[in-house]
Amino acid sequence: MAPGLRELQAALVTQLLSASCGESELPIAGDSIPAAARLRIHRHHVLSSLSKALAGTFCTVHRLVGEDCFKSLSRDFVQAEPPCGPVLAEYGATFPFYLDAHPLARELPYLADVARLDWALNRAFHSPLERPLAGADLAHVPTEELPLQRVRLTAGATVVRSAYPLARIWAACQPDAPEDDVELGVEGARLLVFRRPDDAGFVGLGEGEAAFVSSLVPGCSLEEAAIAAMGVEPGFDLPLAFARLLALGIMLRCSKDDLVTG
Amino acid sequence: MRSVAGIGLRSPHLAQMVRERPATGFLEIHAENYLLSSPALAAVEDLRRDYPLSVHAVGLSLGSAEGLDAAHLERVVGLVKRLQPAFVSEHLSWSRSGGRYLNDLLPLPYTEETLSVVADNVDRLQQALGRQVSLENPSCYLAFGHSTLSEPEFLSELVDRTGCGLLLDANNIHVTAHNLRLDPQDWLRTLPGTAITQYHLAGHAVNDADGEPILIDDHGSRVSDVVWRLFAASIAQFGPRPTLVEWDTDIPPLPVLLEEAASAEQALQDGRQHGARAA
Repeated sequence: MAPGLRELQAALVTQLLSASCGESELPIAGDSIPAAARLRIHRHHVLSSLSKALAGTFCTVHRLVGEDCFKSLSRDFVQAEPPCGPVLAEYGATFPFYLDAHPLARELPYLADVARLDWALNRAFHSPLERPLAGADLAHVPTEELPLQRVRLTAGATVVRSAYPLARIWAACQPDAPEDDVELGVEGARLLVFRRPDDAGFVGLGEGEAAFVSSLVPGCSLEEAAIAAMGVEPGFDLPLAFARLLALGIMLRCSKDDLVTG
Repeated sequence: MRSVAGIGLRSPHLAQMVRERPATGFLEIHAENYLLSSPALAAVEDLRRDYPLSVHAVGLSLGSAEGLDAAHLERVVGLVKRLQPAFVSEHLSWSRSGGRYLNDLLPLPYTEETLSVVADNVDRLQQALGRQVSLENPSCYLAFGHSTLSEPEFLSELVDRTGCGLLLDANNIHVTAHNLRLDPQDWLRTLPGTAITQYHLAGHAVNDADGEPILIDDHGSRVSDVVWRLFAASIAQFGPRPTLVEWDTDIPPLPVLLEEAASAEQALQDGRQHGARAA
């Protein structure tokens, strides 16, 4: 008896994601083109289209490991962790963790962090452009109240940390980059990733700045963020850092909604 | 909307479209590429002031036995309300089962059970949108042995049950007919022509399947001669409709795509003149 639609669809998904697409138990009509060959067309499309989507999102990882290696990595990932939604830009959140556990991480220990940077850039690119806090917005705030102001990061802004020189690895992977070796182990990276009007980008942060930015969550005041920054960098220059972050346009004053949902 | 030809708006052409605003009948976007904020969505919101839009969804999975994904449906409805397109369409296919999405337009067995599943899903979609949706005939690479209806019979029933429109993809008819050994003219004869709201055109590739040629709907080349002829036959049978030229892989420079749309426009024009003479 033919399976019901629900069973048929469940079986087909399992078969299309399996390691190989051999003989099928499904009621697929075959003729001079066998059912297995017909199924392979869908299997190829599923794996190759999702692999291409991952190559678009993780473009630095893709350039770093090359076409063949990325194809193999991404296809294995698709089979292990297929998408749970139809929006391709939202697929791959767990790819960096998959790379952490992959044998390739022994050879390229920074690979998962590069993937984290790619993912953060993808998230920032797909975040709404918000009007950031400007110096003028604070002009009417009495000086003694400034430390009490509650500020959050604009949508998509985030800090990516790594024990490896991520910014230099990223730069070396850009299409026009000169073929210089990147010296590993010299310094780690604290990168602030954020949405810009036409794309997403990042800048490097000092240790105090990174702690300050990481503290800008709803409910936290500027004073608390400054204390966190001074905790990791006693000489932290608050006015200088605050002016720099203002110029980058990555801060927003918390609204009541932020405080409720945050 | 007038029966004009338009193009699929793809990311490599976005900046040029915004800058140059070349003449074309309408722009089509894939809903799932614009559900998140991005500079690309901002560009589409800018372009919609000058061009009618068609929102073509590829991930609603109207053929899923487990029903529609409520969260995804809500996002698509939000996009449609925001962009107010001239058309909304989806495919007669599925891509979701057990919470996993396969990013493909997978084929359905054409049975009474499937008909009832798809009709329920289309009803729910049209109710959520508060407007008619057109369903596109898929490119098929396989058929299920237990199907009891032909594809045009299935589409015809679906139109009767839900009042949905049909999006007739001439390339998909050719691909399906070749791959499943069907006669495209027979296929067209059974279709309820008045439900057709739009035509699609695209190129296809020829691959090898265990020594036999099989056609792949890859949207990666110019429309083939045989598909142009099928398009002309569709216009002769059903009349002109707004027509989209799609190009999704090996995307050419924008002028090539506009050239294909101009050829479609000419075929619509020829069809109108021929129709007027016949009348």
